[in-house]
Amino acid sequence: MDKSLSKEPMLEMFIFENLQLLEQLEQTILAHEKERCLENAVINEIFRIMHTIKGSAAMMMYDSISSLAHAIEDLFFYIREFHPDEMDYSKICDIVLDGIDFIKNEIGKLEEDQEADGDSSPFVENIEQYLLLIKEASANSNLINEAAARPAGLQKKFYISTSKSPPTENIKRYHALIYFTPGCEMENIRAFNLVHKLKDQADQIDYLPADIIENNDSVEFIRENGFAVIFTTHLQQEAINELFMKEAFIDSLDLRVMEDEEWEIEQLRARNQIILEEEPSVSNNEVREIGANLHSGSTRQSLISVNVDKLDRLMDMVGELVISETMVAFNPDLMTATKLENFHKATRQHRKIINEMQDLVMSIRMVPLSMTFRKMNRVVRDMSKKLKKNVEMVIIGEETEVDKNIIEHLSDPIMHLIRNAIDHGIESPEKRASLGKSPAARVYLEAKNEGGDVYIIIRDDGAGLNKDKILERARARGLMQKPDSNLSDGEIYSTILLPGFSTCEEISEFSGRGVGMDVVHKNIEEVGGAVLVDSTPGQGTTITMKIPLTLAIINGMRVKVGNSIYILPITSIKESFKAKPDNIIVDPDGNEMLMVRGECYPVLRLHQKFRIESALKEIAEGIIVIVQNDSGSICLLVDALLGEQQVVVKALPKFIGKIAGISACTLLADGRACLIIDVANLIILAKVK
Amino acid sequence: MKSVLIVDDAMFMRYTLRKILEKNGFMVVGEAENGLLGVQKYGELLPDIVTMDITMPELNGIGAVQLIKQINPRAKIVMISAMGQEQLVREAILAGASNFLVKPFSEERFIEVLNSI
Repeated sequence: MDKSLSKEPMLEMFIFENLQLLEQLEQTILAHEKERCLENAVINEIFRIMHTIKGSAAMMMYDSISSLAHAIEDLFFYIREFHPDEMDYSKICDIVLDGIDFIKNEIGKLEEDQEADGDSSPFVENIEQYLLLIKEASANSNLINEAAARPAGLQKKFYISTSKSPPTENIKRYHALIYFTPGCEMENIRAFNLVHKLKDQADQIDYLPADIIENNDSVEFIRENGFAVIFTTHLQQEAINELFMKEAFIDSLDLRVMEDEEWEIEQLRARNQIILEEEPSVSNNEVREIGANLHSGSTRQSLISVNVDKLDRLMDMVGELVISETMVAFNPDLMTATKLENFHKATRQHRKIINEMQDLVMSIRMVPLSMTFRKMNRVVRDMSKKLKKNVEMVIIGEETEVDKNIIEHLSDPIMHLIRNAIDHGIESPEKRASLGKSPAARVYLEAKNEGGDVYIIIRDDGAGLNKDKILERARARGLMQKPDSNLSDGEIYSTILLPGFSTCEEISEFSGRGVGMDVVHKNIEEVGGAVLVDSTPGQGTTITMKIPLTLAIINGMRVKVGNSIYILPITSIKESFKAKPDNIIVDPDGNEMLMVRGECYPVLRLHQKFRIESALKEIAEGIIVIVQNDSGSICLLVDALLGEQQVVVKALPKFIGKIAGISACTLLADGRACLIIDVANLIILAKVK
Repeated sequence: MKSVLIVDDAMFMRYTLRKILEKNGFMVVGEAENGLLGVQKYGELLPDIVTMDITMPELNGIGAVQLIKQINPRAKIVMISAMGQEQLVREAILAGASNFLVKPFSEERFIEVLNSI
């Protein structure tokens, strides 16, 4: 493609569209693989998608992608036209899926600004060989061969050019030799186009090579020797010259009038040229029918795609709008005004609209989980094929929506959990049979909304977790401090989420290098969620991920530390109270602890942590806020609680970098910036201490 | 300024063609992502030129050319084809397409064809 065109948006479009097409194709294949036959509609879809990818990739000069797509297109062209009987559907699905993987991988490289340098030739060869194989298999039948020579559905009609009477005064016979611009492709069809146009103006058209339509090899002949046309017309030479030269891609034209003698000799030799004229594949009736439909059911597109960055900015700006609205409505200057009735009426209306707008923007960012969920079909298919386990995946509630930014964090954990379930959870078919379980194992992938959270549940009907083995392993690795008798089942199972824990002895291709589960845990915690593990021996394991609907707005508690204000996420606050001096314990190292109902929690003075001057001397003077997450609970000491508030979460500016104990920032109603406390981080810091 | 309607199911192609056209002083008055919509848009917009993909859902390029020719027998349509589509291009010409291009093509080629019809 021309360098002068800006490449970036084109590349973006290329990546976006083709990934979408590939995704769609993958789903189609997976959905139909089980039926062991491909419907015409499916074959057509595969053909069309590969054709589109081929064209786009060729325009962008990604030859490896375009040649692979071309090979698959060819294969499906053959399948579509000749319906070979001898086909291994599983093999064909493998071919297409491999192709999809390759192209996806290449596009992935492009996304990361790398060259798409993969070599698709082994795939192409493989596909071509397979095509040959099915061609040979069906060549046994002559019938099919005949069909190959004459594709069905084409009615042929013979059109014999009329031999006109000998030349009259005005009518002359011309000879034209035409060379096309090199590299314009399909020269034979260009020649056909010329002849077709000439038909309106001329008679007795003969041309060399004569087999421009039937034989695509005629392209080579035309490239080397030019395309020669002889015709009779009443037009003057200049007019004809103009007619030809107006056409695109004509490199040179040699046009001359034939002498009468020459013409007669030629006529003697000439047979009446037979021109094949085919009925177009869409018959007129059909066309009219479609035309009638046009007016009744319009299929207007009602979706547009928008860059996520823009949405993020919109979200940000609406957040700021909410804050600035408060700044206007409660402006200190208004205090001196006496009559504000109309002003308050206007601000109420204003606030109502802004609230609606905020809801709308939030909903724009919500994306259904279906894409993420459906991707797992492929994981299940590949794994069950490889491990020779018969696994069926049941998807429930894929329409559940989650914030766009959260969804990105979910794909990996879900994939990992599903792999784990199939690899470790589900037994071999033989074992299932001996246990009296149904041979087809099931993995459920479920999503549902509950309150402000989304639950994603991955459940299998496999062997379940081995409690004793987990305990043994946990203790061997020093992950378990409490005595066994104090442990609930949930606590035992949850240890598999800790870093460095893996119960599977051997490392398999799909899962289990001991880095898996804790990554799941970390990913989910990053988006403010939690992972719960439950299992029944012999009946399966259920892993539940609890995820907030959105990251962009949280309920926060404003707390005062010295003269500063911080936000604590409400979800992490367990309780808050004034501590009694009796309950405060100081250990020999000087660490402060607080006894609450018989349990001991470390105390973290926030003003010390953030090095802020505070009037607080004793713990009992301030307020204790107990915050908790899955890894434990600690007491935070603050000067005062100021109140609850919804805050718009904004990432810390890049130049500030990452600060321990701070997750993000927000703006307060008075326009002041305020930091949001990273509770999980504080808890970890306190525990390490 | 000549008006152009782009009919192509690939968003990438529509985008690319639009960029080339706008750069070269054509006015893109519409885009359609399948043959049926293409015909419908043609009727609404009556553009000077149509660029028409061949393989498309709903109604392919050839069917669309036939319908457009029913609306306006003098419609100027350029087919955007790919290698291996010789017979389809031929059908399109018989249906009334003015000319065609074979992917991949350069900006100059594309403009040359559009100026020639």
